[in-house]
Amino acid sequence: MPFCLNPFTANSRAVTLWRAAAVVLGLMLVLISEPAQAHGYIVRSIPEDRATLERAPVRLQYWFSEDLEPEFSSITVRDQAGGVVAEGGVSPDDRSLMEARLPTNLTDGAYINELRVAFASDGHVIVESRVFFVGEPSSDVAGLAASDQAVALEVVWRAVVYASLVLLLGTTALYNLVLLPAWGSKTYPAGHLPPRVMSRLNWIMTIALVAAFGGNLLALLQQTMVFFGADASRVLSDGLWQVVRIGTRFGDTWNIRMLLLALAAALHGAGLYLRGSQPETVRAFWAANAWVMALCMGTLSLSSHAAGSLLLPWVALVSDWLHTLAVGFWVGGLTALALVLPAALRPYSGDQRRQALLAALNRFSPIAGAGLVVVVATGIYSASNWFDTPADFGSRYSGALALKLLLVGLLALVGAAHFMALRPQRYVRFEAVIRRVRRFVPTLQLEVVLGLLVLAAAAYLSATPVPQRQFDAPAPPSATQVVGEYTISNTATPGGLGVNTYDTVITRNGEPVDGLPVALRLVNPAHDWRGVWHSAENLGDGLYVAAGADINRAGHWLTLVTIGQGDEAVRAVFEWDISVDAGVIDSIAPGWLNVAALAGVLLAVGYAAFPLGRRFYHKLDLSPSSLTVAFASIAVTVAIVIAAGMIIQQSNGQYEAAISPPPQVVNSVLPDTASLERGQAALVAHCGDWRQGADWDELIRRLPRLRDEELLTYTQEGWRSLATCDPSLTEIQRWDVVNYVRSMELF
Amino acid sequence: MYPHILAHGALGIFDEIIFLGVGVVFLVMIGISWIKSRNVPPEFDETNAPVETASPETSAPDRFKLD
Repeated sequence: MPFCLNPFTANSRAVTLWRAAAVVLGLMLVLISEPAQAHGYIVRSIPEDRATLERAPVRLQYWFSEDLEPEFSSITVRDQAGGVVAEGGVSPDDRSLMEARLPTNLTDGAYINELRVAFASDGHVIVESRVFFVGEPSSDVAGLAASDQAVALEVVWRAVVYASLVLLLGTTALYNLVLLPAWGSKTYPAGHLPPRVMSRLNWIMTIALVAAFGGNLLALLQQTMVFFGADASRVLSDGLWQVVRIGTRFGDTWNIRMLLLALAAALHGAGLYLRGSQPETVRAFWAANAWVMALCMGTLSLSSHAAGSLLLPWVALVSDWLHTLAVGFWVGGLTALALVLPAALRPYSGDQRRQALLAALNRFSPIAGAGLVVVVATGIYSASNWFDTPADFGSRYSGALALKLLLVGLLALVGAAHFMALRPQRYVRFEAVIRRVRRFVPTLQLEVVLGLLVLAAAAYLSATPVPQRQFDAPAPPSATQVVGEYTISNTATPGGLGVNTYDTVITRNGEPVDGLPVALRLVNPAHDWRGVWHSAENLGDGLYVAAGADINRAGHWLTLVTIGQGDEAVRAVFEWDISVDAGVIDSIAPGWLNVAALAGVLLAVGYAAFPLGRRFYHKLDLSPSSLTVAFASIAVTVAIVIAAGMIIQQSNGQYEAAISPPPQVVNSVLPDTASLERGQAALVAHCGDWRQGADWDELIRRLPRLRDEELLTYTQEGWRSLATCDPSLTEIQRWDVVNYVRSMELF
Repeated sequence: MYPHILAHGALGIFDEIIFLGVGVVFLVMIGISWIKSRNVPPEFDETNAPVETASPETSAPDRFKLD
């Protein structure tokens, strides 16, 4: 039965297609006209939102799931009357931490923290406020949830950039993988396709490149407007866009994308320029441009949800890149094919037209199929990154994902119908379906429209905030002691493994005391381990601040705070129980769902790469000798890698045990002022006053390398010219002596 | 401070090494594909009939020389 194709070149068809495209564009704008929100979110805050505190905290700290732009992020703390009581910004040591120091004289009441947060990866700026109460809580004061300052301009440039890049990749891939092998001929040296087809392809590339450049320029303009809160004219007249282009991560990604687009434009332009004098280079430029566009698609992933994933960020990034590549091959290729067909099939009719069409479709079908499989697999993996609890399935992100899946499903159904129509003998039982789509062209148009809708849904999904994970963390350890005339408060924030800030507030008779020499040290008694002495910086209002990554394991820790020097020094000791989950979460371990989804991605990529692999396999030398050498090489390599891994692991364990073995005896006496005084007295009275001994200075010099249990042994057995302490000393007295001797290390 | 391109920089300097490595690999592939396509002419079946089929299960041709 002959095919009866409608003339695809007919104006009515083209008009229908463009009308459909216009409808899609309209839908796209309607769908994503809701304010886009940032990918990042707060993973830990001190204090928590709406926390009621007995006294004002020393500082506010907000850790985010992503790095922030320091120049465009700020925090303002206001009292109930609206007066500014403190201001802060991004920590110079941690770009995912925003903090503000509070004055120590805050009165009871409600305080509102206004956060203006600019995320580095996507440039989104959110404004939200949080509340804490000192004294009594108040129901009259409430914070504002995050709102986004994204404007319609952002929606437009994102849609334009995404669609144009997908079309660019799809067009170059279609030329190299479909049109050239399906329709190519040496009759046409410039690109091996008829001039009318090459002309159409060149126009598609040119228009898509112009759209991509235009969308990117719009992106820089809009991003600068958001960062500076300025209008377009000021951004242009004051050159503010240069600040964003050079000084932000958004600018870094923007520069890379523009560089790659410039390279693509140069290659495309060179192909056009040389098509007359060196026609053989045209195909080469198209081949090279396919790789350029594949790399360029990666810049979309750099500002995607994946870039902010706490779960295996690199895997998420690669998966997202594969997703966009598959969309480019599938939807971009399909769109390019629909745009090329009218020009390509113009001279033909009847059976010739059908054969020309089917030659292209038959080449495109496996690419679209592989693209669909990769899109679904990487989409599932991406979703597994964000759905943590059943409640997440009720989120707006879940709804946006469901919309996209619905459209992808419809697109897959149309694609499957085309697939079956290309193989009618195999799918006889679906004859009714095949009869409906066997004209191909009308349903190809439908497929293109659905593909554009999928792109719109993808843009909507990428602008939808992911479900925010809730991380329960204990409050940072904090305690207050009175030592002599001083009241000393110490807080370690966040109070977990890794970098912590040590805040010490010192008052005397209720008044803050400034100008004191304050030193601080972290000690892990169970491992007889001591950190370095940190000299705390006096920031005024009696606040002394130090920071360090001393806490490297969970367990019982001491913070030694020494105020003053020499005989006037006083010592406070704070005890903490540090748990593993007390730190700020900066990564999440994958669960079984993530692993299963990742396995799906690998299978999908394997399926897509199978034809290439098969071709490679047929080129291999499969003689017994070659196989023996190959398998032996692989086996030896694997064995060496495993053995090396085990040796490295064993060596690390031995090294750790050698430099920090668990002590036989643990110092059970806190080295506070009282212990130091007792130790000094015992040293003088029962140890012959080591300080007068010839080797005292040498002992002090060696203190950084000596462990407490060694010093305890010296009290029992003596050391060089230093006498053995009185055997009647109790163990506690000996530890007092050890603590006193240890205190000499600083002074 | 070293400017990280990625959001996390979880691997520290290796983030940037991987990132630059991917870029270098693709730039090499761009060069190789250009040279190969420039120097190795494509092999086309210049006959239009009889029509070859892609596989036994499909009746559709996978090659048609456009005029």
